[in-house]
Amino acid sequence: MIEVRNVSRSFRSTKKAPGFAGAMQLLFKPEIQTHFALKDVSFNVEPGSFVGLIGANGAGKTTLLKILSGLIPPTEGSTRVLGYNPFERPLDFRRKIALVMGQKAQLWWDLPANDAFDLLHAIYDIPDKLYRERVQILSELLDVKQHLQTQIRRLSLGERMKMELIGAILHWPSVIFLDEPTIGLDVMAAAKLREFLKVFNQREKSTIILTSHNMDDIERLCSRVLILRAGELIYDGKPAGLLREGERRLKVRFSLVPDLEELSRITRLPLNQISVAMSERAEDPDLAPETGGVYFTLKQDQIVPVLQILMQHGTIIDMGIEEQSLESVIQRVFEGGIKP
Amino acid sequence: MIERLKLYARIYAIQLKNNWVRETVYRANFVTAVGVDIVWILVEVSLFAVIYSNVPSIAGWTKYQVYFFLGIFFTSDALFTVFFQRNFFNFSDLVNKGELDILLTKPVHPLFLALSRWINLTAIFTISMGLMIAVHYAPQAGFAGGMRWALVLFWMFIGVISAILLRFAFAVWIFWTDRNWALVRLYYQFFAFASKPDAIYPKVIRYLILTFIPFAFIGSVPARALLHGLELWEYLALVLVLLGFFILNTILWRRGLRRYQSASS
Amino acid sequence: MNWRLAALKNGFKDYTAYRVEFLMEILGNAIVPAAIQWVLWYAIFKTDGATELAGMTYVQMLHYTLVSVLFNQVRGGDQDFELAEMIRTGQLSNYLIRPVGLIQFIYIRGVASKLLISALSLAIGIVLSVSVLSSEASPLRMIGAMLLALLGNVIHFQIGAVLSAMAFRWEDAYGLLMVKNMAVSILSGELLPLNLFPESMSWIWKSTPFYLYVFGPAQYALGEWTHLEFVRQLGVAFLWIFVLWVLIRFTWGLGIKKYVSLGG
Repeated sequence: MIEVRNVSRSFRSTKKAPGFAGAMQLLFKPEIQTHFALKDVSFNVEPGSFVGLIGANGAGKTTLLKILSGLIPPTEGSTRVLGYNPFERPLDFRRKIALVMGQKAQLWWDLPANDAFDLLHAIYDIPDKLYRERVQILSELLDVKQHLQTQIRRLSLGERMKMELIGAILHWPSVIFLDEPTIGLDVMAAAKLREFLKVFNQREKSTIILTSHNMDDIERLCSRVLILRAGELIYDGKPAGLLREGERRLKVRFSLVPDLEELSRITRLPLNQISVAMSERAEDPDLAPETGGVYFTLKQDQIVPVLQILMQHGTIIDMGIEEQSLESVIQRVFEGGIKP
Repeated sequence: MIERLKLYARIYAIQLKNNWVRETVYRANFVTAVGVDIVWILVEVSLFAVIYSNVPSIAGWTKYQVYFFLGIFFTSDALFTVFFQRNFFNFSDLVNKGELDILLTKPVHPLFLALSRWINLTAIFTISMGLMIAVHYAPQAGFAGGMRWALVLFWMFIGVISAILLRFAFAVWIFWTDRNWALVRLYYQFFAFASKPDAIYPKVIRYLILTFIPFAFIGSVPARALLHGLELWEYLALVLVLLGFFILNTILWRRGLRRYQSASS
Repeated sequence: MNWRLAALKNGFKDYTAYRVEFLMEILGNAIVPAAIQWVLWYAIFKTDGATELAGMTYVQMLHYTLVSVLFNQVRGGDQDFELAEMIRTGQLSNYLIRPVGLIQFIYIRGVASKLLISALSLAIGIVLSVSVLSSEASPLRMIGAMLLALLGNVIHFQIGAVLSAMAFRWEDAYGLLMVKNMAVSILSGELLPLNLFPESMSWIWKSTPFYLYVFGPAQYALGEWTHLEFVRQLGVAFLWIFVLWVLIRFTWGLGIKKYVSLGG
């Protein structure tokens, strides 16, 4: 019921040089850049699925969601959601979908949740009895029933997010688009949210598409995963096999900038398991390498022996052990390590 | 069709209720909001009071006629403030912060949701102040009174519609520029022309504020219509200009929305 | 001393970045009040046939309108709103080490554009004084008048600073600042010459310093005030500045104490 055919999305922006001269140039001879947010993406989603859409920042996840919910048009290709063309935004279509964006609130925080929900009650024309039942069920499932009379502003981030979620699905949508719903939430709140989504998907058979760059979300929820990298769909299949059991990432900072081949030789790890640590923001095209920082992807039991070897060969300033990272998964898929 | 109207009516009722809930929570602001309005009315009135302490008439208008005009103008403006002012104030956020997105996914017109969100209940006080001034000076201004008071409702309605159309025409440019506070400031500068009876302006300016930037429709035209009625061409102009602005705004909105959607990432 | 220069530079940068907006704002600020004044005088003198208004002829009224525009531009900006916002949003915490420094900083940053404008206005004013205006006007008077207007700019900011301190108590000083601005619009003389007020009401505008922003400078520039009167008014201005300086220290001192005790 969701069909995506060869969808591409590009948009042009004008590049502005700094200062007054730049502003003048903008007026007379603007330099236009074309960004490709999505390149030739195709996939189908069956009703009732729970799909995870993952990728680094700027990979095109939000763009894809916006296209599917009718907010922006694809530059090329076509999509069909519930049999409609989303960009035409037909009334029936809007009655059956929901869009939840992690950082953008739709409820009015000055009000208690009950009053905020009332507006949605009216907008979606939900029959009174049904509305009351749903508020009851949803608030119980998410454990926020006691907060319904409190001003939303005063609730914790996790509770606010739960209220936003309730508000978003009061009309019992057939398709729910969620853009980074667990961002900024602590472990407990995120887990509760995930549990709720799973239950809702199973009981009500609504299709859910969720974007995240949190591996936990994907691991625990999705029966199917789509991976986007720089606008291209590089993986479409089960989440199993993406995450390697017992795999960890070791980050080490040396006092001197190391030579990766040298490191590969002395640790006896393949070169593709060693990479230079970059600054956190993956969408930054001019990434600045952290001086002397290196990532090693290895198994839990390899950590100590490798460290011992490294300590003999160089001065280590700092080290840390991280969970499986999104970047390594994407990197591996991109390099052809995993087939769906 | 009737069903849709009923739906919109129900939604508006909830918006009213919610704004009431919100305002009863933040009670402290009531005093400041009303205080500010009172001072504004005082300033506009004293401008004329001071001049009239020196001369008996301005462009043939006596001070009572001007006060009557001011009463009508304040009422009209306050009506606009109650229902629309803050929504227009936040209009640029809709576009710049992407708050329009969520509205686009709802099965109701996004503009309706955007323009009905904030309702300023404290300005109702200003409406009554304006009406009191108009009523008080009506007889001395030469207002026939009696049945003609029913017309006041009609002209209030015209005044508010004009204010909405004008304000929208200035606000809609936010789709094309990311900072339009200069334009909004310009709107308020022109608004200063609206707060004087149009009779005092020389022909060129009068023509301008009756047609291309019809600020005169907010207060002047209603006041004049109530006091001595309008000339035929003015009635015609009223209909044509309002219609014209409505069409212009619809086109600008559609184009602007298209641009918003293509430029978004 | 260095940080004051930096603040000034900062203010200039802002001004050049938003040049178009500033230009539009100045044009609007200058043209609209002047246009409305002119329209009113035209209606009174030409349409109704009056020959004088509170002792002034049509030409004199026009001169006042013209000159008032010059000083209108120098009149203070909205930095006090900035201060009130900082208190309301808690941003003030970042500057708590030197609160008096903060007030000066905000002022200097905002005055940068005003200095440019006042220089321009002065230049225009001097040209006007030797060409269009009556024989009593002179470049010297224009310079003195601009000085007074600049002092008015300081006073306006100081009053705003005192009022914004109310935000320490009431969370929102916005309404108060709006009221202040509206009172200023009529009592400064930018909407009409203050001698139009009947004698019995003249105490209203004489008891505030607002007339020093536009009316006072205009009167001196046009030759209505003697040099002696001008010097006297300069004294009044400095007195106001001093009194307000004390008030600022007092209100902000109290306010900061309360602010800090709440945990910022």
